[in-house]
Amino acid sequence: MDHATYRDTPIAGTTVFTGERSRRGYRINKLAMSLTDEANRQAFKADERGYMQRFGLSEREMQLVEKRDWNGLVAAGGSIYLLIKIGGAIGQNLLQMGAAMRGETLEAFLKTRPGHLGNAAENRG
Amino acid sequence: MARIVGGIGCSHAPSIAHSYDRGLQNDPMWAPLYQGYAPAKEWLDKLRPDLMVVVYNDHMNRFFFDAYPTFALGVSDSHPQADEGWGKRDLPDLPGHAKFSWHFAQSLIEDEFDPTICQEMTVDHGILSVLPLLTDNRWPAPLVPLAANVIQHPIPTPRRFFRLGQAIRHAVESYPEDLRVLVVATGGMSHQLHGERFGFINPDWDNEFMDRLETDPQSLVALRHHDYMERGGAESVEMIMWLAMRGALGDKVRRVHRHYYAPMLTGYGLVVFESTSH
Repeated sequence: MDHATYRDTPIAGTTVFTGERSRRGYRINKLAMSLTDEANRQAFKADERGYMQRFGLSEREMQLVEKRDWNGLVAAGGSIYLLIKIGGAIGQNLLQMGAAMRGETLEAFLKTRPGHLGNAAENRG
Repeated sequence: MARIVGGIGCSHAPSIAHSYDRGLQNDPMWAPLYQGYAPAKEWLDKLRPDLMVVVYNDHMNRFFFDAYPTFALGVSDSHPQADEGWGKRDLPDLPGHAKFSWHFAQSLIEDEFDPTICQEMTVDHGILSVLPLLTDNRWPAPLVPLAANVIQHPIPTPRRFFRLGQAIRHAVESYPEDLRVLVVATGGMSHQLHGERFGFINPDWDNEFMDRLETDPQSLVALRHHDYMERGGAESVEMIMWLAMRGALGDKVRRVHRHYYAPMLTGYGLVVFESTSH
């Protein structure tokens, strides 16, 4: 049999977005999806906890968002493509989120980039 | 009859859109990317296709996991831009081609591809990050968007994308009008956007992929998703969509242009092919 599709073989530092994770992270991802609407972004920014409660997030999930714990949110089933919408609403871009997930400062992370010329901090990645 | 006159494979990325909107074309970090696109832009300007079929993926902007299509085809005469979470860009809607699209749907289904048929299809950076780099016109030809799931596993196999390309060719060549069709596939080359491996890029692998895409695509078709994710990062698995473009062009291709640049988070690859087999 051709095992072309993913079978949950571990790759270090990597969390593949499987159906099981999509099921577990559904509430987080649904909240993030709602932030593609400007009025919802404003409502989320005005009252994060109240907004999250409307989407039925658990206390632990709400705390992960409040702590901007992106690795924790990935482990809880968040898709990075949706987590960046939460980042966008609260003013963190993908480079900032990524540096945090690596446990580095943004400055330290940028120094690892081949094209870093000191002016890339505003790019979204 | 319609025929395929060329193919483009390229990385898409929000960063490309961001650089364009901020006018960073001559910025030291970005200039190599824009210079690398210039020959493709010139080629496309001369080619003047009547229609573009674009295989890409949506990034949770048109579709969500409540009902996530494995393949989805936009069949209307216009495709508006989606708000990805930080407001829309200053770009006009894309023109579509309803008549061809419904023929395309019929032909795909007869070839045992069964896309979700979308009469309302908003499009995101999967198309709109790169399209302004390929043309100064807004826009050069009607565009038919064919979105694929490369985000929520299980996702289609590399072989499935190659076969999808063959079905695209069949649909084009069974269309009665004399349309000259460009097939585009977008998908970020090496990149990983989450976890401790965030920022992983692999230029050697990206260049090997572009070599093999041109001369030995079957060796890429035979790889597993796991191989792509290991070599290029988890999110880079989307580069398997390039195989649809390659499958559409037939056995032999002539390379018109190729460029690669990886300054930050994603390998920005670009290939332009013309079909030499009919």
